[in-house]
Amino acid sequence: MLLFDILLPGLVLGGMYVLIALGLTLQYGVARIMNLSYGEALVAASFAALSLYTGLSLSPLLALLLAVPIAAVLNWLLYRLLLVRLVRRNKDAGAQEVDSILVTFGVLFVIQGLMLVAFGGQYYSYSYLSIPVVILGSTLAVNRLVALAFAAVIGTAVYLALTRTRLGTAVRAVAVDARAASLVGIDVAALAGFAFAFGGGLVAAGGVLVSMFLTFNAAMGVVFTMKALVVVIMGGVGNVMGALIAGLLLGIVETAVARLVDPGLTLAATYTLFLAVLLVRPTGLFGKATS
Amino acid sequence: MTVRNAILMIIALLLGAAIVAVPLYANGYYLALGISILYFTVLATAWAMFSGPTRYISLATAAFFGIGAYSAAITAETLSWPLQLLVAAGAGGVVAAITGLSTLRLSGIYFVIFSFGLAELIRQLVIWYEVNVHKSVGRYLFSDITQEVLYWQLLGLAVVVLLAGYALNRSRYGLALRAIGADETAARHAGINATLVKLGVFVASAVFMSVAGAMMAPRWTYIDPAIAFNPMISFQVVIMALLGGATHLLGPLLGVVPLVLLFEVLTAALPNHFSIVLGLVFVAIVMALPQGVIGLIAPLLARPHAKPVAMPAIAESPLLSVERVSKSFGGLRAVEGVSLTVAQGEILGIIGPNGSGKTTLLNMLSGALIPTTGTIRLGDAVISGLPAHKIARLGLARTFQLVRVMPELSIAENVAAAALFRAGASAGSETEIHDLLELVGLGRRSDTPAGELTYIDQKRLELARALALEPRILLLDEWLAGLNPSELETGIALIARLRDRGLTIVMVEHVMDAIRALCNRCLVMSAGKVIASGTPEVVLADRTVITAYLGEADA
Repeated sequence: MLLFDILLPGLVLGGMYVLIALGLTLQYGVARIMNLSYGEALVAASFAALSLYTGLSLSPLLALLLAVPIAAVLNWLLYRLLLVRLVRRNKDAGAQEVDSILVTFGVLFVIQGLMLVAFGGQYYSYSYLSIPVVILGSTLAVNRLVALAFAAVIGTAVYLALTRTRLGTAVRAVAVDARAASLVGIDVAALAGFAFAFGGGLVAAGGVLVSMFLTFNAAMGVVFTMKALVVVIMGGVGNVMGALIAGLLLGIVETAVARLVDPGLTLAATYTLFLAVLLVRPTGLFGKATS
Repeated sequence: MTVRNAILMIIALLLGAAIVAVPLYANGYYLALGISILYFTVLATAWAMFSGPTRYISLATAAFFGIGAYSAAITAETLSWPLQLLVAAGAGGVVAAITGLSTLRLSGIYFVIFSFGLAELIRQLVIWYEVNVHKSVGRYLFSDITQEVLYWQLLGLAVVVLLAGYALNRSRYGLALRAIGADETAARHAGINATLVKLGVFVASAVFMSVAGAMMAPRWTYIDPAIAFNPMISFQVVIMALLGGATHLLGPLLGVVPLVLLFEVLTAALPNHFSIVLGLVFVAIVMALPQGVIGLIAPLLARPHAKPVAMPAIAESPLLSVERVSKSFGGLRAVEGVSLTVAQGEILGIIGPNGSGKTTLLNMLSGALIPTTGTIRLGDAVISGLPAHKIARLGLARTFQLVRVMPELSIAENVAAAALFRAGASAGSETEIHDLLELVGLGRRSDTPAGELTYIDQKRLELARALALEPRILLLDEWLAGLNPSELETGIALIARLRDRGLTIVMVEHVMDAIRALCNRCLVMSAGKVIASGTPEVVLADRTVITAYLGEADA
């Protein structure tokens, strides 16, 4: 049935966007770093999963256990060695935002360049759990369902960690007001580094899961960055529920446009939706108004 | 003319002649290099024209460049060359106007992201059009324009762009643009139509980019959307402008020349590692040279400020009247049915506990907020609902409770920004600005950046900026708050001096000594309503007022 043919793959795609956007909103909302190299990190994780699967026949689900901690450590190093200087240099948030965009641009090209050297420009994919199953009359590969399930588990765990633990509460406090958080004894610098690393771990998880069912190449990262940004902004920066709804919405709209209009117009659809939301509500669907 | 100037002039002329004559002596390779330098000069200068002062980082360069190139490719067979350029300029301008109107009210980060995707979006739309309507992707382009002619065209365009940038910097719109970049809210309340200024410059910059694209199109004999809308162009332009310094007219040029040469060497020597090196260069520039090369040089060059001369306008009899004005935020009624009038030459004080709606009322008067119901008149004109910059131009100026100066602009520029668009006269003269600064006690330091001032001096500066609008009425939002006793005395004397000059003032204040010393009448607000009004002596003795401040039990 056409409706489910759109809805189910749309939900799978949307679930991926939510997971990816969750990491970005942690990096941007807590560490105040607008990370434009985000999509490249994702594609790098996809390549890691591919290499482990084809080289060592390691299941992508096991690859998660390797990729996530490594990515977190790399992101932490990036923050401590490079980005923290921008935080120290800029007194106002706007200048820091601009500087972080520009620096992570550079990082984007470095990662992309490294991947191009290693893998070239061609498309890659591998076949893992690509067994078709029929659900509600539409056919779907098992790997997509597994990816969705993992995304749901990871997303829920992050949400609970943020809302139910001391550390999560501290992270949210920094997101709301870093200066006030430091006044109540929260080590903002350490926590910002932690949030940045954690966000990096989430994007690696997204990359591994996406690699199970999408074809990818070294130059694709920018597209993922843009979509994650669109989800974060549409949902309202720092708003987990907003990102959930915006992500699912985006996944379904994209699938619908690809299916009903033209697969070449998915990005156009994304941007039209993005612009429409921003024109009506400049702070996102669930964002708070700032005066 | 001194001998030194004459020598400099001759050197400049020789250099200019050498640049113009490049096609006559350079071989193909160096000519191509010259063409690259010129078209990146055009793009980076046009980029910095808008993005430098406003700090809106635009990644839409590739979009406008591509629009120009592609429209030239489409019209190549049917239109003459000047018409092709005109069509390209028009197409770029229209797209910039549409995207600008919808995205320029978005603050920094949203704008970056949208412009980031604009080239990709347009590219997808063009491909879709070519596949479905034109039935083939890509166009062949046969043109008799030689490399030499292309070089001279681009050189001409570069000169036009630099002249336009120079004219913009000299005009009042240049300062207005920098004021917007420093603090958009303050700029609006200083009478600057921020939306229009931003849009105008954004469109102008896009038109230059599109024309550059149209000129470059014949260089490729075959053009498809992937070539025309190459996102790499956007990144390269940003990095070039930043390396040179985006806040200075010639800054981008200083970045273009070394980077074009570097890229040239890189593509030849390390074709596979191009983007790695590009990325590392990018990171290094942002980390090490936040102000660009020009930031290293600029302090060595003194920048003289030329300001047009203007005569102050003479105020006629003003009267502010507020009729049953209310403002709700969702369910919260911050101001409810407030009416008041202010006579010419009067000082009206507004007092009341925190959260009683005083600042909300001022925000409605100055246009920062639109009343939910009720009308506000300034003289005969209804001002409720007008945008802030229009109210400011009608003669209502304000200061902010949390002081707002434009930190990167000098003290004198902060004041001059407010004089730009006031009614009647054009920008303020240097003596006028100096007099205003003298009046508030900032006389001798007009070149200091405003961000380096102490709190009290920033307040003084904000007052001078408000006065530069030559207001009929001045709103002071807790202007005396946070001052020490001696500063308070000076402050009160200053406001008294303004009153003696015939200025009408509405002041929100917690300092009762100031209310007693200055106000003819005062008005007490509590929970959004006016609960008392009259002379300060009467009002401050009123039981309901004391209750509102101190609570029932203590009263």
